[in-house]
Amino acid sequence: MNQTIDTTTAGGSDPRPAGRAASEPRRWRLADYPSLLTVPAILLLIAAMAYPLLTIVLRSFSEPEWSLQNYVWFFSTPVNLTVLARTFSISAWVTIVCVIAAYPYAYLMTTVGPRMRLVLIMCVLVPFWVSGVVRTLAWVILLQDSGVINSTLKAIGFSSIRLIRTQTGVVIGMAQVLLPFMILPLYSVMRGIDLRLVQAARSLGARPALAFLQVYLPLSLPGVFAGAIIVFILSLGFYITPALLGGPRSTMLSTLVQSQVLSLLNWGRGGTMGVVLLVSTFVLLAVAAPLMRQRHKQASRS
Amino acid sequence: MGYRSTFAGIAGATTLAVIAAVAHAQEAPAAGTIVDGSLKGKTLTFVSYGGIYQDGQVAALKEFVDKSGVTLLNDGPTEIAKLQAQVESGNVTWDVVDTADLPPYVHCGKLFQKLDLTKIDVSHIPAGQVGECSVPAMNYGMVLMYKNDAYKDNPPKSWKDFFDTEKFPGIRAIDGSGDPIGALIEQGIIADGGSVENMTPADIDKGIAKIKALGPDTIFWKTGAESQQLAESGEADMVMMWTGRAMTAVKNGAAYTPVWQDWMVVMDQLTIPVGVKDTDAAYALINAYLGKQAQEILTEQTSYSPIHNEAQPKVDASVAAFLTNTPDRVKQGYQQNIKFWVANFDAASEKWTALMAGN
Repeated sequence: MNQTIDTTTAGGSDPRPAGRAASEPRRWRLADYPSLLTVPAILLLIAAMAYPLLTIVLRSFSEPEWSLQNYVWFFSTPVNLTVLARTFSISAWVTIVCVIAAYPYAYLMTTVGPRMRLVLIMCVLVPFWVSGVVRTLAWVILLQDSGVINSTLKAIGFSSIRLIRTQTGVVIGMAQVLLPFMILPLYSVMRGIDLRLVQAARSLGARPALAFLQVYLPLSLPGVFAGAIIVFILSLGFYITPALLGGPRSTMLSTLVQSQVLSLLNWGRGGTMGVVLLVSTFVLLAVAAPLMRQRHKQASRS
Repeated sequence: MGYRSTFAGIAGATTLAVIAAVAHAQEAPAAGTIVDGSLKGKTLTFVSYGGIYQDGQVAALKEFVDKSGVTLLNDGPTEIAKLQAQVESGNVTWDVVDTADLPPYVHCGKLFQKLDLTKIDVSHIPAGQVGECSVPAMNYGMVLMYKNDAYKDNPPKSWKDFFDTEKFPGIRAIDGSGDPIGALIEQGIIADGGSVENMTPADIDKGIAKIKALGPDTIFWKTGAESQQLAESGEADMVMMWTGRAMTAVKNGAAYTPVWQDWMVVMDQLTIPVGVKDTDAAYALINAYLGKQAQEILTEQTSYSPIHNEAQPKVDASVAAFLTNTPDRVKQGYQQNIKFWVANFDAASEKWTALMAGN
């Protein structure tokens, strides 16, 4: 490692055997080894990601002693399984809400003029720059029983609805926080779709709905999948929003991990929960992957 | 051995013991004592929970810093998991750590040093609050606050009423910020008709079942700020609150009244982690912190109650209303069974976590 860095930065010296160098004196250039450019990123990933992850996995087996005790505990404690299932179902709901909310928005971004597009992009990005905690607290004020939504409902004669400390409230709050992660990939894909294809479909007699479903939608699916995966995976690890907007029946796995590690100092069990979440995410993605790939092909063919 | 020599032996031993006791008494400097220039060139890292609380602690320690010449660094917030990582890696950078009430008992001797009481003066600390590995950092309480217009003529008077959802309908809010609240589980057991005299682990289930029976609308707040917000917006009819938050909520106009009967005694603890570089310097900091003047400054700045029995902080009426160290309050206070909750910490945590997760 040291040698490569030395030679690339020094540039002048040639450490290779004389036999090859004899044909033509050659300088080492960074451009010949483009993969070297990834070294800083790889080092960072090893130090900040691979090593800690390995430690977590090892400790989930080794604490308090080497065995499967933590995994046995995880799968034999009902609350863990309930919360795991709930974590996936909340994440799925958040993803669905994000797709439904983001799709028309991203589409609108591709059809309006540049100035309006800038406004739309700012509407997505400005909340994105505000801390998640602040946004979540804003949702508390909106959703609570005496909050803006419920007092408006009461003022116009409806009965109030329970939003905060329910799963609905958590899904609303998380979807808002995660919406940019859905809109941006969708927009970048939709921007590349040639709208003349839709026009062509229409000129050949397709109704607007059919032209959309058979031409535009398949072409935009890669963006939907990319956004959905990002939103789904980020949702799985959410902590602050479910903690502030949720009640006991919307506790997610991260909260359980937190209590195992921070208040019980049970790193083994906390690690186990992390590993179970990670592995089940991988399994889910592996199941979903072929499905997506096929659709991608279909989209590119049409 | 004859009678005479036995007597002489006893007398000798007694004399020695008396001398030793006197020597000890002389060794322990009075709380608040600071030796001029004693820690010049040394550095101590004080760890607490940040915010106005830690600012107040730093203000209370100002005289110690000025006189002893120590350089005081501040860090936080306290996280036992972080401390554990430091102790395990043998690189402890936290010298004096302010913790919640149970950790020093749970991890005594493992993460926290057993305190040498000849190096600090604990004689002014409220009875029963000095642990093997900790002294209190301040006192406060967990108090039941009820909404005035929810229970006009017949307000709740005790935790028993808190658990009585028939006579006192309405939404309850409970401390769900982390560790199990032993005192609340105990009150649940009492409200269930049980006794906490000789609690067994099976009783934990009874207490938790009683909390669960409060119904699906029960709110478990995660932060003190959230509890305050619940009161200020009138979201809950009865809120279990930290006294500091209750005081601020009332100041901000929340129409709630405290029920002082069996308010739950809570404290922060001061500890010295295992493996600190200069134990004596850490003791010197704690001893200065326990002083009367330091405690008065702490209370004036933070509104938490002092742990020096002669401290007379100057505070306004709204703060004084929520201080927990007056004779009346001391009588009404309820102290959880620390020994029991330490011994059953894991089981209680597991059951509490399940309650928090809706199971």
